[in-house]
Amino acid sequence: MLDSDLRSISPEWIELLLAPVLMKDFGFVTPYYCRHKYDGTITNMIAYPLTWVLYGRRVRQPIGGDFGFSLAFVKSLLEKDVWETDIARFGIDIWMTTVAICEKFKICQSFLGAKIHDDKDPGKDLSPMFVQVVGTIFSLMEIYHENWLRVKGSRPTAIFGFESEFAPNPIDVDQGNMIRKFQEGLLRYQHIWEKVLEKENFRKIQEVAKMEVSHFELPVELWVKSLYDFSIAYKNRNGGFSSAEIIEALVPIYYAKTASFVNRTQSLDTSQAEEAIRKQCGVFESLKPYLVEAWTSQG
Amino acid sequence: MKEDDSLSKKILVVDDEKNIRLLLKEELQDEGYDVIMAENGAAALEMIQKEVPDLVTLDIKMPGEDGLSILRKIREIEYDLPVIICSAYSVYKTDFSAVAADHYVTKSSDFSELKNKIQEILSYKS
Repeated sequence: MLDSDLRSISPEWIELLLAPVLMKDFGFVTPYYCRHKYDGTITNMIAYPLTWVLYGRRVRQPIGGDFGFSLAFVKSLLEKDVWETDIARFGIDIWMTTVAICEKFKICQSFLGAKIHDDKDPGKDLSPMFVQVVGTIFSLMEIYHENWLRVKGSRPTAIFGFESEFAPNPIDVDQGNMIRKFQEGLLRYQHIWEKVLEKENFRKIQEVAKMEVSHFELPVELWVKSLYDFSIAYKNRNGGFSSAEIIEALVPIYYAKTASFVNRTQSLDTSQAEEAIRKQCGVFESLKPYLVEAWTSQG
Repeated sequence: MKEDDSLSKKILVVDDEKNIRLLLKEELQDEGYDVIMAENGAAALEMIQKEVPDLVTLDIKMPGEDGLSILRKIREIEYDLPVIICSAYSVYKTDFSAVAADHYVTKSSDFSELKNKIQEILSYKS
């Protein structure tokens, strides 16, 4: 399976995605790319860390768009009744990755070099994708709660291919636009945030909204707890809000997190930014008890 | 660590430096682990299949095949075997191949990080 907007694909990609299936008996192969630090922000801020913390598997590109899989895995996917839902749209990648992990298919990653596609400013183009991907992640948390509630720690995922030097295309990010959307979000979604977020988290979010662009920062812990609060609200439909309303209300906070990440990593090169993302995953892991406690205590 | 926790847990130490192997063996035996050793990749891969260790500590800079290449082979034969890279060089931490390791420890005279990680990883495993 390949993304339709790819511009960096080469014939080797097919071999790299299929060889682990054909030669090594893997069920599902996810991509591993060299990407610009601001490409794939939904991956970096949400999909990668949540896959890591929930299901205990470090899969760097769980929504990468380019995958290899075995016949047995395809058959297993086709049996599931999801094909008319958001899962079958932007949610398809995270769904496949989560199913592969939870249903114990053997997973690996294949290094494909640089991913060059139709880059998007994360503050301008990603809302529909965000709603479908995050909605799918939260829905899967309900389906697979017995799996992830049991998981402690995390395990790496095997990686194949050979690294070479690649320079990913730079991506221009308009932080000011994202911060404005966050501040507007406070006005527009305050009534939802108040019901969804823990009182202390809501208070801190209000404080963050007052910060100026130059030193804007949403602390990682606050981001993680807010995301966990939203997953709980999605399950419980807090305040009588629909699942779509809850996810839409999360978008401005995600913009705040992305703007904050950009502020903190502007002077970092690709590998230093990667290390920052890994450390962030560690925070997700250390705060998992917060999520488990909230999930189990609220039915 | 409590003795019961480490009972029968076997750790394979892979390092080309004899003194490092012996030092690690002593430190880990003090924690109650069984320790086996290999001085290169070929010996390590053979031991993994014969001795079935619970965890591997793996050096990177070794003559012949390096640790990252051995890690790739370990993942092919024992997909879920925990591996901690234990290297004097922190620079390999950002090498993409290193992400297939459970953890990366920079060698030092203080073994507490390594011991804590081993205990943590083995506790998840059990």
